[in-house]
Amino acid sequence: MRRLPLLLVLLPLCLLPVGGCWNAREVNDLAIITAAGIDRTEDGRIELSVKIYLTSPTGSDGGQMSGQPSSDKGTAVVRSATGINMADAASRLQKMISRTVFWGQTEVFLFGERMARAGLEEPMDFLMRHIASRERSLVFVSERTAKDVMLLAPPIDRSVAEALIAMAEHQTGLNITLKELAQMLVGKSGAVVLPIVRINPVRDKQAAFPYIEGTAVFKDGRMIGELNEQATRGVMWLRNEMKQATVTVTPDDSGGYVSLHLLRNHTRLLPRIEDGRWIMIVRITGQDDIVENTTALDLSEPDHIGKVEEALERLVEDRVKYALELAQKEYRADIFRFADAFWRKYPKIWKANADRWDEIFPEVEVRLEPDLRIARPGLVGKNFFRREQR
Amino acid sequence: MKLSGHLRENVRRLQAVYTDCADVVFHDLLIGGHTPALLVYIEGLIRIDELDRHVVAPLRDAPGPDGDMEAIRRRTAVASVKTVGTFREVVDGIADGCPALLVDGCRDAILFGLTGREQRAVEEPTAESVLRGPREGFIETMRTNIAMLRRKIRNPKLKVVEMRLGTRSNTPLAVIYLEGIVKPSLVREVMSRLKRIEIDDVLETAYIEEWIEDNRYSPFPQLLSTERPDVASAYLLEGRVVIMVDGTPSVLIAPITFFSLLQTPEDYYERYVVGTAIRWLRYFFFAISLLGPSLYVAVVSFHQEMIPTTLMLTMARSREQIPFTALMEAILMETMFEALREAGARLPKQIGSAVSIVGALVIGQAAISAGIVSAPMVMVVAITGIASFMAPRYTIGIPIRLLRFPIMILAGMMGLLGVMLGVIVILNHLLNLRSFGVPYMSPLAPPGRRGLKDVLWRAPRWMLNRRAKR
Repeated sequence: MRRLPLLLVLLPLCLLPVGGCWNAREVNDLAIITAAGIDRTEDGRIELSVKIYLTSPTGSDGGQMSGQPSSDKGTAVVRSATGINMADAASRLQKMISRTVFWGQTEVFLFGERMARAGLEEPMDFLMRHIASRERSLVFVSERTAKDVMLLAPPIDRSVAEALIAMAEHQTGLNITLKELAQMLVGKSGAVVLPIVRINPVRDKQAAFPYIEGTAVFKDGRMIGELNEQATRGVMWLRNEMKQATVTVTPDDSGGYVSLHLLRNHTRLLPRIEDGRWIMIVRITGQDDIVENTTALDLSEPDHIGKVEEALERLVEDRVKYALELAQKEYRADIFRFADAFWRKYPKIWKANADRWDEIFPEVEVRLEPDLRIARPGLVGKNFFRREQR
Repeated sequence: MKLSGHLRENVRRLQAVYTDCADVVFHDLLIGGHTPALLVYIEGLIRIDELDRHVVAPLRDAPGPDGDMEAIRRRTAVASVKTVGTFREVVDGIADGCPALLVDGCRDAILFGLTGREQRAVEEPTAESVLRGPREGFIETMRTNIAMLRRKIRNPKLKVVEMRLGTRSNTPLAVIYLEGIVKPSLVREVMSRLKRIEIDDVLETAYIEEWIEDNRYSPFPQLLSTERPDVASAYLLEGRVVIMVDGTPSVLIAPITFFSLLQTPEDYYERYVVGTAIRWLRYFFFAISLLGPSLYVAVVSFHQEMIPTTLMLTMARSREQIPFTALMEAILMETMFEALREAGARLPKQIGSAVSIVGALVIGQAAISAGIVSAPMVMVVAITGIASFMAPRYTIGIPIRLLRFPIMILAGMMGLLGVMLGVIVILNHLLNLRSFGVPYMSPLAPPGRRGLKDVLWRAPRWMLNRRAKR
């Protein structure tokens, strides 16, 4: 009987190795996908193209594992498969790859334009349901097919995925993750924006590289149009995604330009319902640095600073209005998440009018209240290199 | 057995005891020219010059016969003398290095405290060196060691209770505590546990450590051993008990907590900001030394999505041609590292450097370039190795080194779940453990506000003005 406790400990211990390492995946057995492109074929099937990082040493490296690969070329391959839906395509893809397809490191998802226009519900279900995919991966819409982008080998970065992530992080365009996309799809407004990836130049495969320009507008999960670069800026201001940028303004009768670096921008949406009128007050605040001044203004003078601030506020207002115009009148899609703001402040009124939001949104009166301050005019006041200043 | 009044009778008995003991000297002398007497001592254990000068000479030159022992004692010029009446005491005294004087017609014997064996000089303990702080260390002689403590705590409340242990070796042992600070029940407990020991010999404090521990099967040490008098006195002043054994420089301290194993004297000798920072660094690397390879194995073979992509791609590239699984690789490398360390520890210094060269070249460089182990694995093993050297006490380093392997295997089978399982089991054990009734993880569990000041950080001295409750 004294041995019993010992046995009780030892027996389960013996069981441990029986379980073995059944779900262990060695890194050597993985096909690591860094980017995935999802296209819709002419006949309505789904074509899944993935960029697989090649882990085996290439070229003359031989047995030496240390150091960087000698060349960035040939470090990745593209495989694609077609299926009736995402899961089908994914399983067909697996058949063509000797190693286990590993979705855990996929940093970029790309939807072809045809796929986007047909609707994102179907692929999104797979991506959100699949436990291995990262919700922090970035999502883009591709102007051409996603496969074309996958096949690129951008000269600077290690892979297409890295190039796109780096560009998105510069905040020159929108920066939407898989999680944000899912939130937008199920959000109150029902509208989605995704950045668009284009290829430049299209013909030369060797030198071609992807870049981000413009925004795809979705309504009810389907892409309905595009916004150009100018309007994208407006959208970013309204969505409070304008983190840093450099803009150039022309203050009144100054005969030159002032360039500013925008910092610490913040946009607040203050919804208000007055006498049945739906009003949105947009308060934009920010601090800016002056980086260049080719005007005759002396920026050490507070008056002159005021002039530049005014010009800057006008510029921001113009951009925001342009974006508003397009969204409210042309696409009638609430890509600025006004719906959520109204719902948060007036949950009851919102509930009563939720069905009518499509009609209300184009009529929402937007009042812009920009308050942009110049924090640092720089080390010199006037541009004393200008001839007439001497 | 009592001594007899006849010297010849006593000599016969003693000679029977010391047959075949070539180093025991029986020195006959006549006190004052006519009273026969005998000096018995062991060569090498006594100060022979002083015996000659202060005992033999005065007795030989005594003017007349002295009837009793007391008068004889007064003739000698030795301060430390003891009068004993039994054979047992005489033999024990001789064994301790006290020359014994037996006089014809006396039923007593005199033991002279002229012990003087060869001893090592007081040096800095190599295993516990400090940059700032006292550099003396205990030596093999218990008398000297106790004197070192007395010099640090000049207080009659410092009590030294001596006893003998070891039915064959009869080794002196001292229990030292500071009366008024120590809990009397703790001293009683230590005494009763020591008395229960049945052992032939005590060559090192480790011999008794295993007898008096609370949990004899735990890999974790429940007593602290140190060679530094400053550490021992610091613990005495905290109300702990020091157990000292003659013949070894390391003394035992009881009770201890887990966190006393992660402290160094320098935590208190440096400024408190520095002490705190170093202590945190040590805690962090302590965790690394236990979990480093396991976390790596778990992440690499189960949770690849947790690694940042760029790092993952680099790691995948370096692991590409490795023939082993991550677990095998880790066990291989860790075993190799432990072997290297053990080899290095036993070798003389001159050859030790050869081991490190072979280690660095063979398991470092060659294994990577041959594609047998991956570079990240070697890095993990190296970091773990350095982390394990940060354990301030060798005794806490060993269980951690040992437990690393089962956790590694769990990690290889179940990933992070396995690591958590291992950690939970170890924590559970630690929370159950006690050292002389004191919870091992205190003052963290059960929480004690006063003690936490000296565990979560090293509070400045003026804040450490109250003893932790125990």
